[in-house]
Amino acid sequence: MDFLGEGLRRAFQLISSADPEVYGIALLTVKVAVVATVIACALGMPLGFVLASRRFWGRRAALTVVNTALAFPTVVVGLLLYGLLSRRGPLGGLGWLYTWQAIVIGDVILAFPIAAALSAAAVQGVDPRIRRTAETLGAGAWRTAWTVAREARFALAAVITAAFGQVVAEVGAAMIVGGNIRGATRTLTTAVALSTAQGDFGLALALGIILVVMALVVNVALQLLQGRGHA
Amino acid sequence: MLELAAVRQAYEGRVVLDLERFAVAPGAMIAIVGHNGSGKSTLLRLLALLERPAAGEVRWDGAVVSSPRVRPRAAARRRITLVEQRPVLFRGTVRANIGFGLKVRGQRGGEAEKTVTAVAERLGITGLLERRRHELSDGEVQRVAVARALAVAPDVLLLDEPVSSADRAAAQALYGALAEERRARGLAICLASHQLEDAYRWADDIRALAEGRLSPVTPENLFRVELPAGDETKHVRVGPIAIAVTTARVGPAILAVPPTDIFVSTEPLVSSARNVFTGQVTRLVRPRPGVVHVAADVGVELIAVITEEAARDLALAPGSRVTFAFKASAVRVF
Repeated sequence: MDFLGEGLRRAFQLISSADPEVYGIALLTVKVAVVATVIACALGMPLGFVLASRRFWGRRAALTVVNTALAFPTVVVGLLLYGLLSRRGPLGGLGWLYTWQAIVIGDVILAFPIAAALSAAAVQGVDPRIRRTAETLGAGAWRTAWTVAREARFALAAVITAAFGQVVAEVGAAMIVGGNIRGATRTLTTAVALSTAQGDFGLALALGIILVVMALVVNVALQLLQGRGHA
Repeated sequence: MLELAAVRQAYEGRVVLDLERFAVAPGAMIAIVGHNGSGKSTLLRLLALLERPAAGEVRWDGAVVSSPRVRPRAAARRRITLVEQRPVLFRGTVRANIGFGLKVRGQRGGEAEKTVTAVAERLGITGLLERRRHELSDGEVQRVAVARALAVAPDVLLLDEPVSSADRAAAQALYGALAEERRARGLAICLASHQLEDAYRWADDIRALAEGRLSPVTPENLFRVELPAGDETKHVRVGPIAIAVTTARVGPAILAVPPTDIFVSTEPLVSSARNVFTGQVTRLVRPRPGVVHVAADVGVELIAVITEEAARDLALAPGSRVTFAFKASAVRVF
């Protein structure tokens, strides 16, 4: 109990004293998570729309691939990305290995299937009469998609939350392609893993608390946004 | 002119619609009548270009608009609007809903607002403009959906059971507004209904669908007449025969004899029915299993609906001598 109590005391001390290292790690995590979520959703959500609303050859296969990719192990993504970005890999020339950009790429690969599969499910959940009504009133493809998206806004907000949750909690790929370099690529999850291994339980706990608060803030913000919406 | 040519539609291999030709001329007022599942809604969705037929073509002013080419279809779709049987409203106010089609067409601001207000007034829904969909009854949603469709001033308005959630007064008000709209700018209206009375009253052209095909038996025993003044039971001339009718109305009217209210006999009938006519069976049609439509020439053509069992018992065949009887009170006056 002393061990836990001591850890918690130190965690709160680190947080309340605005420890520059802790806040540096938190800021980098936010940066990586926001950029990766935006890119993954910008790519995945339109794909989800197309998969849900268009009938084309190979659609079922594409849906299967996207759904399977949901369970892709993060360390395998990290490994494959490492192979691509390492000096001897085909993208080695970019020099992105062990940079925050590399972590973003890994996170995008992991969050993209979430954005695509969940937004496909969200769009499929919209009453088909909404699409037909928009079309019969003369709406083109974009306006119709926007109208459908407005109806699915709660589910689509949940898609963003889920993608952000995946990105912010991911550790395997970030560790492999980020390298957990202090002050450069150390994110909350990789820092927690390292601190625990080094026996600094208080620091690990402080970082863990920040991680949980971050997830909470995103969820509450989205719930507030949803609450403002009217039928 | 909106036209289906040799159109067939099938879902999962089951043919639900098979029409040689179906045309909606400019300014027409067509009622499509038929039972549930007869293909009415499918027909309307094809006419609205919301579905592409499995075979055949949809043409708009002679141009094929059912092809995969998006542009001609999109252009035609802006002239044709469908109101579904159970319409849905978009998120937002009734005002925003009615303005949706105008916004799509790039109309905003004062002019769009004027159109929204005017169409809401014509349909008697001005008081609903600031409400949202969860604050409306089903009947109100239907009226808003019709207003939303009329706001874009379509050339063809397609309505699927437009008054299914409305009470009698609201239904008549809606039909009245549509008739007014048609008079004002000559739009064509094509509505699907299982309410024969409405079809008789409001449409110029009634087409019956059965099992996805245009039925040769029209649902009406429908006559335009001049009702004389006098007693409540009147004998109204319809061609060479006089039909007894119970009505206080005087002047031009439409008589409808519901085919299910006609008794069919092969023997002369002595009954309380005021209308007893003898003639010859001209044709027998079986629109669905167990039901026979008997058409007979009794001076005018009348159609009676009887069961297969009754047709068998009476040994009916084209050319059979037959007596049709129905009460004066069974005759509807519109």
